[in-house]
Amino acid sequence: MSAHEATEHLEHTESPSDMKAKIWKTFWILLVLTLVDIGFYFIFSPSIYRNYLFIVLGLVKAYFIVGIFMHMKFERKFLVWMIVLPMSFVIYLITLMVIEGNYTDNARNVEGNQVIHAPAEQHQDGGHGH
Amino acid sequence: MANSATLTTDPRAQWGGGKSPFSVSYGKLMMWIFLLSDAFSFSTLLISYGFIRHSFAGVTDNPWPSPDHVFNHFPFLHGMHLPLMFVSLMTFILIASSVTMVLAVEAGHRMAKGEVVKYMIMTIIGGAAFLGCQAWEWTQFIVGSEAGKTLADGTVVHGANLFQNEYGPVAFADLFFIVTGFHGFHVFSGVVINIIILIQTMNGVFEKRGHYEMVEKVGLYWHFVDLVWVFVFTFYYLI
Repeated sequence: MSAHEATEHLEHTESPSDMKAKIWKTFWILLVLTLVDIGFYFIFSPSIYRNYLFIVLGLVKAYFIVGIFMHMKFERKFLVWMIVLPMSFVIYLITLMVIEGNYTDNARNVEGNQVIHAPAEQHQDGGHGH
Repeated sequence: MANSATLTTDPRAQWGGGKSPFSVSYGKLMMWIFLLSDAFSFSTLLISYGFIRHSFAGVTDNPWPSPDHVFNHFPFLHGMHLPLMFVSLMTFILIASSVTMVLAVEAGHRMAKGEVVKYMIMTIIGGAAFLGCQAWEWTQFIVGSEAGKTLADGTVVHGANLFQNEYGPVAFADLFFIVTGFHGFHVFSGVVINIIILIQTMNGVFEKRGHYEMVEKVGLYWHFVDLVWVFVFTFYYLI
């Protein structure tokens, strides 16, 4: 299995025309995906679904950059997982921060937008309480 | 078990020492680990952006601005509303320089010194062009519009800095400066490292060494910078 992977690795690096074709294919894919991004930006009005679409397109672009340009697709599986798995912590942080962002948004509205924009006034309000 | 053929197929043998179980060199492995930590830094910055922006969702008196109304300029086309155009150009420049970088790596595999030099020069030009674009973008953002924004006490604010922002909450400008600044600094370091590698290539350092692995390592870094820009572009300008 590993010997087979090793020969495969050699094949990918040692046939220049094959690799060059792959590079240019990836370039066109990235270019088209970016154009699709721009197209969606002007066609659809801002919404959460448009945002999801942009994030998915971003992840697809990331796959091609890391996979082909950074040669990750042809590396050992263990190396791939060593880099990709820790990135799952990012998903955890995103989840936490979305929850926290909702909470902060609610807190701002309760305070009548005074928390950030007018700290001096807020201080006076606090003074009444004492 | 005893003969060498089974030993090489046994995954445990790969971890017995004497060779890299990842089948990459030490330097490349460390570059991957550095990029992983750098990816965490950028993730944290972008998630902070998401968090702060999300927390402004219900704010109406000084709302979070739409990038449509902030980044809508293009050089030599003064006064026209052209959202996304300039930043798309920047994205194309960076993708193109990423392609020339990977072509330099590919040329390095073939030990084609002349081609490595050619593609490295193109990559450096791309990186420099991107930095120039970013400088222009920052200037537009800092100088701001002619009309500006009139505050409650009558003072007029033009453009954005770390303390006041014509377009919306101050946090918007702060995050813009830190995220694009941190990315821009990465591009700048990348250009400097690329120039060093170009000089070494021209001096025949890698030819003597027998391989162009250094080009691969800076290539990894350069593609990472491109990768980060994909997400900065997505979160700052599209969403």
